[in-house]
Amino acid sequence: MAENLSALSGRQGLDNNLFEKMVAGARENGSPDNQLLRDLAEEFLMGKAITYGAASFYDFLKPDHQGKKVHVCNGSACMLAGTQDSIHEKLGTHFKEEEIGHMCCLGRCYENGAFQLNGQNYSGDDIEKVAEYISDRGENDSSYVIKSKLSTPVLTGEALTIEAYASLFRKVITAGADGALAEIKASNIRGRGGAGFPMGVKIESCKNTPAGQKYIVCNADEGDPGAFSDRYLLEEQPLSVLFGMLTAGYIAGASRGVLYIRGEYPESVRVVKKAIEALAAAGLQGEDILGSGFDFRFKIIEGAGAYVCGEETALLSSIEGQRPEVRIRPPYPTQEGLFNKPTIVNNVETLAAIPFIIRAGGKAYAAYGTGKSTGTKLVSLDSFFNHPGMVEVEMGIPFKELIYGIGGGFKSPVKALHVGGPLGGIVPVHKIADLTLDFESFQQQGFLLGHAGIVSVPEDYPMINYLEHLFDFTAVESCGKCFPCSIGSVRGREMMAAAAEDAVKIDRQLLDDLLETMEVGSLCALGGGLPLGVNNALQYFEDELKQYFK
Amino acid sequence: MDKSVNSVFVNGEEVQFEPGQTILNLLRKELGEEAIPTLCDAPNLKPFGSCRVCSVDVALAADGPMKVQASCHTPVTPGSYIYTHTDRINRLRKNIVELVLTDYPREKFTHDNPQQNELKKVALQTGIDISDVRYLPGANHLDRPKDEAHPYMRANLAACINCYRCIRACDEVQGEMVLTMVGRGFENTVTMGMNEGFKESDCVSCGACSQACPTGAITDIFAAEFANADQVTRTVCTYCGVGCNLNVATSKGEVVGINAPYDAEVNQGHTCLKGRYAFQFYNHPERLRNPLLKKNGKFEKVSWDEAYDFIVDKFQSIRAEHGPDAIGGISSSRCTNEENYLMQKFIRAVVGTNNIDGCARVCHSPTALGMQRAFGTGAATNSIIDLKYTNCIMVIGANPTAAHPVTGAKIKQAAMKGTPLIVIDPRRTPLAKLADYHLQLRPGTNVAMLNMLLYYIITAGLEDKEFIAQRTEGYDDFAQQIKSLDIDQMAEVTGVSKELARQAAIAYASAPNAMSFHGLGVTEHSQGTFTVMQIADLAMITGNIGRRGVGVNPLRGQNNVQGSADMGVQPHQGAGYLDITDPNAQALYEKHYGVPLPKQIGYKIPEMFDAAIAGKMKAIWIIGEDVVQTDPNTAKVKKALEMMDLVVVQELFMTETALMADVVLPGASFLEKSGTFTNGERRVQRVNKVIEPVGNARVDGQIIVDVMKRMGYDQPDYTAAGVLQEVSRIVPFFKGIKWEELGENGKQWPVAEDGKSTDMIHVQAFKRGKGNIQFFDWRETEEITRHANEFPYIITTNRDLEHYNCGAMTRRTGNVELNREDVLLINPRDARDNGIEDGDMVCVTSARGKVDIKAKITDQVNPGVMSTTFHFPEIMVNMITSDVHDSEAKCPEYKVVAVKIRKSKGEFARV
Ligand SMILES: Cc1cc2nc3c(=O)[nH]c(=O)nc-3n(C[C@H](O)[C@H](O)[C@H](O)COP(=O)(O)O)c2cc1C
Ligand code: SF4
Ligand code: SF4
Ligand code: SF4
Ligand code: FES
Repeated sequence: MAENLSALSGRQGLDNNLFEKMVAGARENGSPDNQLLRDLAEEFLMGKAITYGAASFYDFLKPDHQGKKVHVCNGSACMLAGTQDSIHEKLGTHFKEEEIGHMCCLGRCYENGAFQLNGQNYSGDDIEKVAEYISDRGENDSSYVIKSKLSTPVLTGEALTIEAYASLFRKVITAGADGALAEIKASNIRGRGGAGFPMGVKIESCKNTPAGQKYIVCNADEGDPGAFSDRYLLEEQPLSVLFGMLTAGYIAGASRGVLYIRGEYPESVRVVKKAIEALAAAGLQGEDILGSGFDFRFKIIEGAGAYVCGEETALLSSIEGQRPEVRIRPPYPTQEGLFNKPTIVNNVETLAAIPFIIRAGGKAYAAYGTGKSTGTKLVSLDSFFNHPGMVEVEMGIPFKELIYGIGGGFKSPVKALHVGGPLGGIVPVHKIADLTLDFESFQQQGFLLGHAGIVSVPEDYPMINYLEHLFDFTAVESCGKCFPCSIGSVRGREMMAAAAEDAVKIDRQLLDDLLETMEVGSLCALGGGLPLGVNNALQYFEDELKQYFK
Repeated sequence: MDKSVNSVFVNGEEVQFEPGQTILNLLRKELGEEAIPTLCDAPNLKPFGSCRVCSVDVALAADGPMKVQASCHTPVTPGSYIYTHTDRINRLRKNIVELVLTDYPREKFTHDNPQQNELKKVALQTGIDISDVRYLPGANHLDRPKDEAHPYMRANLAACINCYRCIRACDEVQGEMVLTMVGRGFENTVTMGMNEGFKESDCVSCGACSQACPTGAITDIFAAEFANADQVTRTVCTYCGVGCNLNVATSKGEVVGINAPYDAEVNQGHTCLKGRYAFQFYNHPERLRNPLLKKNGKFEKVSWDEAYDFIVDKFQSIRAEHGPDAIGGISSSRCTNEENYLMQKFIRAVVGTNNIDGCARVCHSPTALGMQRAFGTGAATNSIIDLKYTNCIMVIGANPTAAHPVTGAKIKQAAMKGTPLIVIDPRRTPLAKLADYHLQLRPGTNVAMLNMLLYYIITAGLEDKEFIAQRTEGYDDFAQQIKSLDIDQMAEVTGVSKELARQAAIAYASAPNAMSFHGLGVTEHSQGTFTVMQIADLAMITGNIGRRGVGVNPLRGQNNVQGSADMGVQPHQGAGYLDITDPNAQALYEKHYGVPLPKQIGYKIPEMFDAAIAGKMKAIWIIGEDVVQTDPNTAKVKKALEMMDLVVVQELFMTETALMADVVLPGASFLEKSGTFTNGERRVQRVNKVIEPVGNARVDGQIIVDVMKRMGYDQPDYTAAGVLQEVSRIVPFFKGIKWEELGENGKQWPVAEDGKSTDMIHVQAFKRGKGNIQFFDWRETEEITRHANEFPYIITTNRDLEHYNCGAMTRRTGNVELNREDVLLINPRDARDNGIEDGDMVCVTSARGKVDIKAKITDQVNPGVMSTTFHFPEIMVNMITSDVHDSEAKCPEYKVVAVKIRKSKGEFARV
């Protein structure tokens, strides 16, 4: 289905972008009006149902979004920290109820109390000064501790100067596409977006697919509530990400790079925009970069509120202005991606490691970590930790050391850690000692490292409510394409809600059937990943949960 | 490839697969169509992967771990082990269907026939009934309102299971993109347009969504009865030259619905609204059910015997008094090959004149003639399937999304996906909007336009020298003349910029395989035949002949316009295109017909009218053609008919022409007869009788044979198979065609004695030997040179999707609710200059007459150019069309009419 729309959208190239125009059209009223959607359909030679249907998908474009002036974070971390109600209440003194909307995770999980106002995110005790912010943007004074125990950090060190990046790119040119690719392959780096796919293989596959036009897409849709590592990189190390894209483009023969940055991170958009300008000024964007004959230009696309857009094929459809429904694979994006052209989609953190790999060599990178999990990993610690914030650690360190050493343990009693986002596993605190921080250990123990956002579930938070929240998350964010996820998540939510609120006991067989159906039947990990955490909870919190079962 | 590399184990058994094949495809082939349940899969749609009921277990080693994979979109992994019914898979399928049933109307599930409701069928297959659902009642969509406003399309989205089949059909098959999901996740709702319902949306009622829907959530007014029909008969559509195969369902001898077979090579499960829905005309109250004889100016019902006696008597006395050449016949491209063959045989062998012509005269006669002159055969060189292989499509003077909708949809699909498209048309048609190059020329300047293209190809050195040298003649002269053209003048007269023309020429010439399509915008001109020959020139000088994805492909108008010419419905050629002035051909025909035959070329249709007015023609038998409404210059046609002593009209309805007849004979519609139609790609397909003729109507072939016999000719009793056999003895390219061997998808001629079908012609050499490359200079049509001063605007005529020709059939179906009137398309500037607003009645005057017609202001046409349809007798647009004709084939110039306009005065201001 997507093929016609991808091609029609692609006819206009990246510079006249359908999705960007829809998002721009929503700026004034919170949703693009029908006349605009009709005109866009005409311009892009599509049926008007197409633009209308696409706009209806997104939280920040759909008609319901009209008139929203302020958005309260309803992500898992803010929910568990219990800050949402008071923020909402306090905003209520300045805004009408219908002017207050929601956003899912603003990346302020280290202090919570997050909300967005006038394209600016606030958190912690910012709410106390909201009256000021309404009239004047004010300073974004939120800061978080960045910790690294590494002598040579890969991702968190002091940001390199633009000159340093220029000379690093000369190194890429000297090595040539094959040489640079060899370094990346030698590093054994695996994707940080969740699936852990080897980056070298992906770049090589795209490189080997013949096409006139190819694309590098940076997945900066960091949707996992609890994760803010991509945000950190985009805002504090933007050149490293852009350099990663540039290098991938050079190797694969792509001349355009797209950063798909979620709408919940307006600051990231601003910072990256500036960084691109700086690159351009330094001759690292545009035609014939550093005399190499290689052309590359960046483009930022801002998201509009849909978690599933982090899934790479949905993300591509989103850029194209289609409804971001997950596509079947094959064809893989490296064969037919953006606008049906070969495309590499990589996570921010994956791309940000490339400068190190080029500078120090693939081997140096591979020297970090264990076996199949090389390199370092950013971990996001939420506000339950004594030392919340961003941490860079070597893959394979004991999980205990991270939680109780670097993280300093918890401020108040915590019974479980939800690691790797809503589709990750729920690690009961007693299992912390059994884990090391790498893909394999988590998988072997029945959990998931994923993007390594860590959300703490406090001792007194009823697990049944947390499970309801997880089903709800999937129900709200499901693209709706595949049956197990779109219907199953709703039935699961209903089951949990009925058990928690109306004491309707759960039929265990039915729940098991539902979880199995979602896990093995779903098209993507939004439906397929949810059962992992639920099953963890059913196993490790059996005592607490058994009252809800028949 | 090594055999073992392409083998896998299905439930333990080793089988072979084809590279790239999906697991589902393989399983259906190995285990049967019903082996794997599916809900979102459909034969004419790409794999989508939403329902997941097709899942199977796959292991990479005999006892390796198994992984669940959706079979519909997962390619087979060589050497893998596929298990189709493990416990886990059985459970999964059942549990998914259970989830679906939590949001499905219980009533519908209980009542629907599982053969027509795929959800119910799959539920029963996977072992679950709606009463087995274990979930407590929860959120659902059972209260969605129904959409019943459209004449055909229906939606009852309470029964929708969000499989996206309808949405995909509208996008992937029809290319209209009327349907979408709205919302996200569980709340996703199928929506028409911008939540407008079918009626107000841009839906073109093709029915693809209705046919695709597995639950009847989207359906049409006929579907329910279709599901419970007594019988389904496969036949061929009567409307256009695409030749779609149809499955016609009947109950108690009445047609209750039509859909399209997925295995049809022509249309793969698709049709347009004419084929699928516009069949209700067949038993419309106004359908002619008895022979009528005009007595004292009034029609009276008579018996067939009385009608026949009257006709035979008259024919014989007129022939005795004025000679056979005072009689003529117009046969119908709506009728079968067998009937057309008989009609020309009747005129030639029984009456003894060559005054036989057909409605092809007014549409594609220049194609037949021009392509014969260029290649030796007046038919498409390639097939529609070539669209799959081509790298560049050129559409000239055709609006196939309306006039040849299924082919139009295919061209649209190719263009949307990026196959370069060149459209040469005065109107910004739907394809022109999608085109990379739209050459929006002034009507009447085709020859100049094509000369520009030829010029730029030659001056860019993009001609195919090898092909030209080996396969053609006349190139050097031609190139000389092309090169000396005044290209600025060409740009001036066409109104198309040189740069755009140059780019289009280069796109066509440099594509590895380029194919062209043309329609009536090429032929219905004073230089129509020449234009066709220029299109042939384009193909020849670029070597675009004789391969996949190339060629010259006329979009034949009526369903059997190719066939009627093939069968000899032309005054200068007999069955099989043999020249009737050639003694060898005469001998052959005389041998088969058993009588001496006339030797002079007869009248073409316009010449018949001239002859009648001149008192030379006295009798005419017209089958299935409304010459009064559809031929140009209505007043003249009427006068000609009035002057004749005998006018026999064989028709389905009392058309404008039938009203002027002395005898009206009720013919049979395509649903009521067997025979063959030949589509635009030379495909001879079987038309199978679905029902008996209504009332006392008779099969047209039967009528002709009855009259032949009564006039003393020894013609065997009428059967379609019998006549086809007679044809195959005479027409060389029908040699191997046998009624019993045509099968469901027919055969493309030439069909050699061994029965082999031909999808491409002129592969090694042209039929005429060397291809004839010829130069033609553009000449302004007389219509303009004579009238432009007084009549400064140009009107060109076109067709709408919803109606067919004079509309006699389509106006008697639900289609009329979708499109009620002819309109005048007019550019905003011309409208402003003349004080005309959208919806105003406009008085349009030409040198012949005037009509009043409602204005539709649009930028589809350039200033100075207007366009209108001719489907409705209320307007009789042909009152104003000219009687200028193609110099060679005498096809009328419908496409250029010089007019002046003004806002209508009160008396005409109808709403
Ligand atoms: C529901 C869902 C959400 C996802 N969200 C993100 C995301 O926010 N950021 C991201 O980088 N990858 C996300 N992914 C993973 C991407 O599909 C993809 O694997 C990744 O962008 C590839 O980049 P990597 O190889 O560098 O990890 C998500 C996947 C799913 C199924
Ligand atoms: S699992 Fe959910 S999000 Fe993923 S494709 Fe299916 S419906 Fe969409
Ligand atoms: S009938 Fe055809 S055009 Fe109309 S919505 Fe259905 S598929 Fe689309
Ligand atoms: S209307 Fe029919 S075809 Fe369309 S999504 Fe619903 S069930 Fe599927
Ligand atoms: S048929 Fe494969 S997912 Fe529906």
